[in-house]
Amino acid sequence: MLTAALLPILLPLACFFLLAICWPLRHLGKLAGAISSAVAIISCLSAVRLLNMVMSGAVDPQEGFTHTATWLVANGRTIAEVGIHVDGISASMLVVITLVAACVQVYSLGYLADEPEPHLGRYFTWHSLFIFAMGGLVLAPNLLQAFMCWELVGLCSYLLIGYYWTKPEAGHAAVKAFWITKFADMGLLAGLCVLYASTGAFEWDVRLATGTATLISALIFMGVMGKSAQVPLHVWLPNAMEGPTPVSALLHAATMVAAGVFLVVRAYPIFAQAPDVLLAMTYIGAITAFVAACTAVVQDDIKKVLAYSTCSQLGFMIAALGTGSILGGYFHLTTHAFFKALLFLGAGAAIHAVHSNSIHDMGGLIKKTPVSAVMFIIGAAALAGIPGLSGFFSKDIILEEMIHGGHWVPLGLLLVSAALTAFYMTRVVVIAFLGSPSEAVEKAHGAPIVMGAPMAALTILALVTGYAGAQLGGLWGGTIAFHVTPVGIAATSAGLAGVIYGVLLYGKGIAGPSSAGLRDFILSGPIDTFWRGTWDRGILPTAKRIAWTDRYVVDGAVNWFGWAAIKGSEAARRLQTGRAQDYAVAVIVGVLFFVLYGAVGG
Amino acid sequence: MMAWIAFSLIALVILNSALCVVRSTDLVHTVFWLALTLLGTAALFVHLDAEFLAAVQVLLYTGGVITLMLFGIMLTRRIEGVRVLHESGNHRRALASAVAVFGAIVTAIYRDKQTAHAVATDLPGTEELGQLFLQEMVLPFELLSLLLLAAMVGAIALARKVDP
Amino acid sequence: MTEVFAQPPGLTAYLLLAAMLFSIGLYGVLSRKNTLAILVSIELMANAVNINLVAFSRFSGDLTGQAFALFSIALTVAEVVIGIAIIVLMYRSHKSIDADATTALRG
Repeated sequence: MLTAALLPILLPLACFFLLAICWPLRHLGKLAGAISSAVAIISCLSAVRLLNMVMSGAVDPQEGFTHTATWLVANGRTIAEVGIHVDGISASMLVVITLVAACVQVYSLGYLADEPEPHLGRYFTWHSLFIFAMGGLVLAPNLLQAFMCWELVGLCSYLLIGYYWTKPEAGHAAVKAFWITKFADMGLLAGLCVLYASTGAFEWDVRLATGTATLISALIFMGVMGKSAQVPLHVWLPNAMEGPTPVSALLHAATMVAAGVFLVVRAYPIFAQAPDVLLAMTYIGAITAFVAACTAVVQDDIKKVLAYSTCSQLGFMIAALGTGSILGGYFHLTTHAFFKALLFLGAGAAIHAVHSNSIHDMGGLIKKTPVSAVMFIIGAAALAGIPGLSGFFSKDIILEEMIHGGHWVPLGLLLVSAALTAFYMTRVVVIAFLGSPSEAVEKAHGAPIVMGAPMAALTILALVTGYAGAQLGGLWGGTIAFHVTPVGIAATSAGLAGVIYGVLLYGKGIAGPSSAGLRDFILSGPIDTFWRGTWDRGILPTAKRIAWTDRYVVDGAVNWFGWAAIKGSEAARRLQTGRAQDYAVAVIVGVLFFVLYGAVGG
Repeated sequence: MMAWIAFSLIALVILNSALCVVRSTDLVHTVFWLALTLLGTAALFVHLDAEFLAAVQVLLYTGGVITLMLFGIMLTRRIEGVRVLHESGNHRRALASAVAVFGAIVTAIYRDKQTAHAVATDLPGTEELGQLFLQEMVLPFELLSLLLLAAMVGAIALARKVDP
Repeated sequence: MTEVFAQPPGLTAYLLLAAMLFSIGLYGVLSRKNTLAILVSIELMANAVNINLVAFSRFSGDLTGQAFALFSIALTVAEVVIGIAIIVLMYRSHKSIDADATTALRG
């Protein structure tokens, strides 16, 4: 059991070390990529085997199998342990991670084929590290290991976003992502400290006083807000699109941003004791879903549309968790991972074809690259919640829970967001894939099989996962059953309305209400501007003042001792005149001193 | 009474000469004032019933040391005459040191209970002094001669003209 | 008052005389510029020591004081000899016997 659990994460770690240390191997980029992809596939297969063990009952899906090793010891007491905890939730997430990672790595072999080989090697090294880090996060037996892997995942994000480090925007985006998530992680760390102070350990299965639970949950949620791009800490996600498209697919759509959601699911015993935090989560999630969906409508860069879409869907998941629907949130996480990764890979195929990110440069791609276009459209339909596809099922559950909890305002926001989601995806599909080809598209060529096969795998999963709801529900300790409900019908209608409106507006060219002012406002990025202002006016001056204090006060105090020593020695030096009579006086003084000492003290 | 008069006269000579030694600007004058001080000391020794010592004092000090000093002056003077070097700056410090030391010694003198009640006793004469040197103190006596030899050789070695 | 002078001078008187001579000699050592003059002042100090020794010898009846005074005289003579040799050397190398001429040890 232990080896079965460790294999999916330790194999990629070994691959990482191999590529990191053995630099001649790494500099052979394509070979390094092949090795890394092979390891990722093996890792995925062993993760599936692990899931199989859990589903067949070798491990109880709720209790799970835990194995830990002592790590930190103080005062003879163990403070922290590392290890693995395999249950239904973590096993299925591990499969998702390794599967999407394997698809993305194989895809990258084709997408980044033109990259210089040493840089390609570097790319795959970070990918292997990422699988280990993310796997360590989901299999973590306590919150401390989760936090460590959380930070490691953030590091991988920084490294991969900044892959094109010769581009200044890429470097800036990497730093921005790292800084904002680090800012949020301060909250997470504080939460962990409070948890340790209250309970003396980092377990999530604890009973706490409501006040303490609220504090800890709020602090942990601050970290989640950063990692899972909730408003207002979402501003790094659009910038993260500077990284290569496969990276966006893996990290910033399927797995890393989902880590926040996963953490809430894991730590739910603590969150359940803090109903205020849960309520706040519901609202924040809904607001994020709405704001991000609005922003996605006006984007021209296909990756930015998908980025804001991811942000919006994460809002759905967080809102679901806020209402207490773990199953809804987690189910949506799983389906979203597959179809969003598919969408990004499809976008990558389109970008690869026309060498541009803008949807206006891609028209009628369905004629030139039919297979990838169809797969993208399937993914878009899944995202929009078209009945029958996976997104439909998972969104439905979330909205039903909203009604159960009586959260009308968030429900309204989510319904509107669902409509907007369908609308903006239709917009992208119509403009980029349908219609008449532009001249850039005339020269386009289809994606090679190494890019197409992973996309096909994800397409199948996007179609099928919705129907696996019952089995997954059993795995996660609840029931997922599909009913036809009023809210379901409302949501579906909203989605279809969005699709129809989009087709009318962009396909047939029927004029609709235009709001150039609103578009400009959204494109100006008000929240981003706010954070930029905070940085420029608040944090940077404070940091400069602290640096000044360090240089002149702290270092100054130390340097003062040196200065004093020099000045003192210069003064003492004047005693050495070289004249014998002066020395004689010194002798007299010394003798008198001793006489005095003897007379008084002795 | 007479003892006091004698003592006072001798003391006066000694102290006055000493003062002139330290305040004289001409080097030769300084040396001669020193000679007078040493003679005064010899007289004091006689007053203190140490006749042999007085003789030695006159011979060695007044005879030998003064002669040496005069030689020294002759060897180190400029051609144009005995150069008088200006005395400067250190007077205050020197005076303070001297006064401080004097104070310390006086305090030591008056603290000791025994000195106030010391009574002059008859001393043995020169013959006993000679016997002392050749019996109990023969070792320091002989070593002293070695010392003088060493001093002579050392002075010659130091100050001889080295052929260039 | 008169009874002090009725007796011959006590030990204290001689010791005070020696102390004064010593101090005068010290003043000379510390303030004179001419090296030879310093040597002369050292002589004064040595002389004071001898007076002390002889006085103690007189008032204790022990001849050891006089013997020591003799040794002291011999030692002083040796010291003067060496001192003059040094002064001659100094004159040869610095062309001056100013006490401030040699400041090679100046820090």
